[in-house]
Amino acid sequence: MSAATRSLARRRPSGRKALVATLMLLVAVASAFPLAWMVLSSLKTPAETMQVPPVWIPRTPTLEAYEKVAGVINVGRSMWNSLVIATITTAGILVTSMMAGYAFAKYSFAGRSLLFSLLIATMFLPPIVTLIPLYRMVGSLGLNASLAGIIMPNLANAFGIFLMRQFIAGVPDDLIDAARMDGASELLILFKIVAPSVAPAIAALALFAFVYHWNSYLWPLTVLQGNADAYPIVISLSRLLSYNRGAVNTGLVMAGATLAVLPPLVLFVFLQRFFVDSIVGSAIKG
Amino acid sequence: MLAPAVTLIGVFVLLPMLLTVWLSFQDWSTQTPFSDAGFIGLGNFREIFGPTSVGRDFKTALLNTAIYTTLSVILILPLSVVFGLLVYQREVAGGTTLRTVLFSTYMVPMIAVALVWSKLYSPSEGPLNQLLGLVGIGPQPWLSSPRSALVSIVFLNVWQQVGYFTVLAIAGLTQIPGSLYEAATLDGANRREQFRFITLPLLRRTLLFSAVIAIINAVQVFEPVALITQGGPVGSTNVLTYHIRRVGIERAQGGLGSAMAVMLMLSLIVCVSALFAFVNRKDSSE
Repeated sequence: MSAATRSLARRRPSGRKALVATLMLLVAVASAFPLAWMVLSSLKTPAETMQVPPVWIPRTPTLEAYEKVAGVINVGRSMWNSLVIATITTAGILVTSMMAGYAFAKYSFAGRSLLFSLLIATMFLPPIVTLIPLYRMVGSLGLNASLAGIIMPNLANAFGIFLMRQFIAGVPDDLIDAARMDGASELLILFKIVAPSVAPAIAALALFAFVYHWNSYLWPLTVLQGNADAYPIVISLSRLLSYNRGAVNTGLVMAGATLAVLPPLVLFVFLQRFFVDSIVGSAIKG
Repeated sequence: MLAPAVTLIGVFVLLPMLLTVWLSFQDWSTQTPFSDAGFIGLGNFREIFGPTSVGRDFKTALLNTAIYTTLSVILILPLSVVFGLLVYQREVAGGTTLRTVLFSTYMVPMIAVALVWSKLYSPSEGPLNQLLGLVGIGPQPWLSSPRSALVSIVFLNVWQQVGYFTVLAIAGLTQIPGSLYEAATLDGANRREQFRFITLPLLRRTLLFSAVIAIINAVQVFEPVALITQGGPVGSTNVLTYHIRRVGIERAQGGLGSAMAVMLMLSLIVCVSALFAFVNRKDSSE
């Protein structure tokens, strides 16, 4: 606590504290409310979701809406597709980012900073800028309407390289040189010696990549072109809305949204320390 | 070490980016191979800025995106600082919990955010108008009126993203030495003066970084428009990512879409450079 805080706290302790506490509570409630409403609505009966004024807490919570979701979209298949997309993409990003991050942090070669800047610049490129030619390219590779077409262009990204370079730069050179003396190959050094010492950053990157690609919508929608068998859950969700417009489907939509939100949210709640540390780390070191 | 990442980013990001620029000068249908493209000079650019419906729609989308982005940034940045201070202060417990609640919304797929908020905004059975009624404000049309639809989408964007920027703001706050506040207190500076002359100036770098990221994120808005409003009512939510995809992929007018994407890229470069110049000028003037 700074001296300023102390002196003010002495002057009017209770009023200030009450104000801060009230603000905190308001912000937390406003932030949590939409998701709470989502879960509560998914448990309502169809009649309750249409009631005016709205029902806040379902009187007889029911899983009816979830059963209906399973009747409209193939939940298992969609979740599986999302899992495949997010897992393979994440694995690819981890390997390519660690390798490139290691090279940028520990090798010196001509044009290093230029190449690094060029790659990092792509971090600021909105995906829509490359969407049209990329769609054509993936199509001419025969990968449209397939999971491979969703995954392939995303196996490396600038953010991962940036994050890995920031953290690998902090690994002592002595550690790496000692392993080289012992005749270890560079890949072995990277995965056996460097990787364990930056494990939290790797965990953070894995989580970011997984959540990002679980949630990703624009590219899968464009590539799949209506091949429902390959739909990830976020695209199947949009079919719930068109299935039956209007208030009738509110419970259905909320149940579907709850299902799609759960995996990334659960990951976050258990592993949030890694997320926050890596954002703080990359922002400060960058 | 570099080969996998450089190859993947080169082929799937840099090459399509160059293709977008090249295609913007071509007459080309997205359904045909790149080799069918025919050079037409600035024809596409003349058309997207011209008086026909193509030009009108593009200019509307550009303006809508500019409004959407500006509103998002001017809401997100101040909120992120206020929320950051609420999490960072040590007078009232619960800061970490608040951070968790705020950041959790960033994990939610945008498609689920769009679905849930479309129900929150529902004029009759939605809870938002009900809550407004409690404090004496009449029902709002939200997404159904051309006057309020774009702003309504800004609100859901701010709700989803502000937690991420709060974490960035906290990272900036932790970098400010506590001794500065102590010295200021000895000099008789009150809280407001400390915020004005210590906290804000020292957060400038963080806020610049946040502004750039917020801009890049904002121009990517797609899901709420694609799913809920389809650009309407009367074009009021037609934003660039949605419009470029509709023109370049759905209508297969690849040349026109690419010219629009190039304009988006140029606008971003201009905005971000202007931001940097503004902050650097302030740096050197002090």
